[in-house]
Amino acid sequence: MAKIRTIIVDDEAPAREIIKHYLKELEDIEIISECSDGFSGLKTISAMKPDLVFLDIQMPRLTGIEMLEVMTEKPVIIFSTAYDQFALKAFELNAVDYLLKPFPKRRFLDAVDKAMDKIRTGSEIKEPAQILEKKPETAEPVNRIVVRKGSAINLIPVDQVKFVEAQDDYVMIHHASGKALKQQTMKFYEENLPSKDFVRIHRSFIVRVQEIHRIEPYEKDNHVAVLKTGEKLPVSRAGYKHLKEELNF
Amino acid sequence: MKHPVLENRIRFVVWWLVWLFLAAGQALLYYFAYGSFVSISILDSILSLLIYSALALSLWYPFAIFNKGESRPLTLVTNLVITGAISVTFWVLITKLLIPLILPGQENFNEYWTATFPYRIGTGVFIYSLIILTYYLFVSLTNLSEKKSREAELESLVRETELKMLRSQINPHFLFNSLNSVSSLTITNPDKARDMVIKLSDFMRYALSKKDEQPVTLRSELENLRLYLEIEKVRFGDRLTTDEQIEERCLEVKMPVMILQPLYENAIKHGVYESTESVKITTIVRVIDNYMEITISNNYDTVTESRKGTGTGLVNVIRRLELFYGNKATLKTLRENGIYTVSLYIPANCN
Repeated sequence: MAKIRTIIVDDEAPAREIIKHYLKELEDIEIISECSDGFSGLKTISAMKPDLVFLDIQMPRLTGIEMLEVMTEKPVIIFSTAYDQFALKAFELNAVDYLLKPFPKRRFLDAVDKAMDKIRTGSEIKEPAQILEKKPETAEPVNRIVVRKGSAINLIPVDQVKFVEAQDDYVMIHHASGKALKQQTMKFYEENLPSKDFVRIHRSFIVRVQEIHRIEPYEKDNHVAVLKTGEKLPVSRAGYKHLKEELNF
Repeated sequence: MKHPVLENRIRFVVWWLVWLFLAAGQALLYYFAYGSFVSISILDSILSLLIYSALALSLWYPFAIFNKGESRPLTLVTNLVITGAISVTFWVLITKLLIPLILPGQENFNEYWTATFPYRIGTGVFIYSLIILTYYLFVSLTNLSEKKSREAELESLVRETELKMLRSQINPHFLFNSLNSVSSLTITNPDKARDMVIKLSDFMRYALSKKDEQPVTLRSELENLRLYLEIEKVRFGDRLTTDEQIEERCLEVKMPVMILQPLYENAIKHGVYESTESVKITTIVRVIDNYMEITISNNYDTVTESRKGTGTGLVNVIRRLELFYGNKATLKTLRENGIYTVSLYIPANCN
């Protein structure tokens, strides 16, 4: 039977050490690489296509969560992190397990067993499209959005987002230097973009209030928002109400 | 409420002196009005005001009852007027009965009584009003000082709670990741693991056991921060280096406990957490006039600059400085050329 090819991604050397030590006894597992930040982790994973990844969350450049958001082919993931604020997200990402540091060996081996089952039986890993659907109470505010363009990974600061447009299962993020497509829901952005800056003006549009130049009536009962850039976005009746509340007119 | 006069020796003495003064006033009044009754008017004044004084002391009790709870103004006035009428009548009657008994042989007593009667009523009403006003003054002053002390107590309670809240914010990431490092080191390097557990214990002991707002010296703050940074160095290895330049004469300056820790925590969080390069945290302490300047700076990864924190760490430090130093301490931050600097100015006499 082929060995399970494994990568460890964690920015702290002692944290990688303990995983390596626990894995040493398992003959079925082969560690093919170690990474200490999000970018290199993502690159290595796309290049080497491992079966299993031990993934830390809090890391330089790109968090473990953000890595998964833009990964196209996903290996089996076991999260290992110090703090449980991301547990909910991790399970929504279909991670096979979530280890809280420091973890006992038995707990670790259970997680590996689960992962091996999943890999050996070849059960399909569902698309983790709906991650970050629920906002954990302790989460830090979303202040950047990670998108993939070809093989490049871009970080868009939320400050630069002008509006978000729904496109089937994706959203188009219009920002200061272009636009980017991402597999995520409007609901996520409605809940996670700072509500003092953004208003949902339509089923398919969330716009930064400051970007609105003027609002014009359009047909009967409807309006359009004209942006500073000249783009026109439809405003639904509910959206008009939201705008009224936000701008006090 | 306690009796304002009977419960206090000084007030009790003052009380009788005031009545003696009133008696003298009344005697003079009678003398000028009816010059012919000198001896009797002096004796009468002393005696009658002595009686009134005792009466006035007992008037406190109905007064206290009237003012208990929220009675309507009209009810209160009616109560006071009726009590006044009864008191004055009672006083006049008792005086009329007692004076002939105590001062027998005054042949012209009836004439004297008739002549002084209207003044007697006037004095009675006047003194009654004075007593009521005095009691009112006493009650409102007592309420005021009680309210003030209650407010002060509440304020200190709120402050204490707030300080506790602001302090107890050691980052759980730090704690659990450190424990994970210990867990790892027990296998790869048991000596280092033990060393780390001891450092972690010392750090936590300092952080948890110090009495709130019992000022500590810069020396002990820095010692504890070195522990913190050494623990972090185990986690991050070469990715974290430190440097310090401390003016020796500042070491005994007092400051709130754990006031610097959040600043180092920020340096780690925004510097080391987010950077793949090595991050150097530099601490400089020096004296500028009557201030001690503490500067903590770190380089950071400009690529991930867009990732910001919630700012609670810094806000808490500022709030604690305010509570501790009033407006005498300041905190400044600067982000320039990939270096983040936070400077703290604390009033201090370092010489």
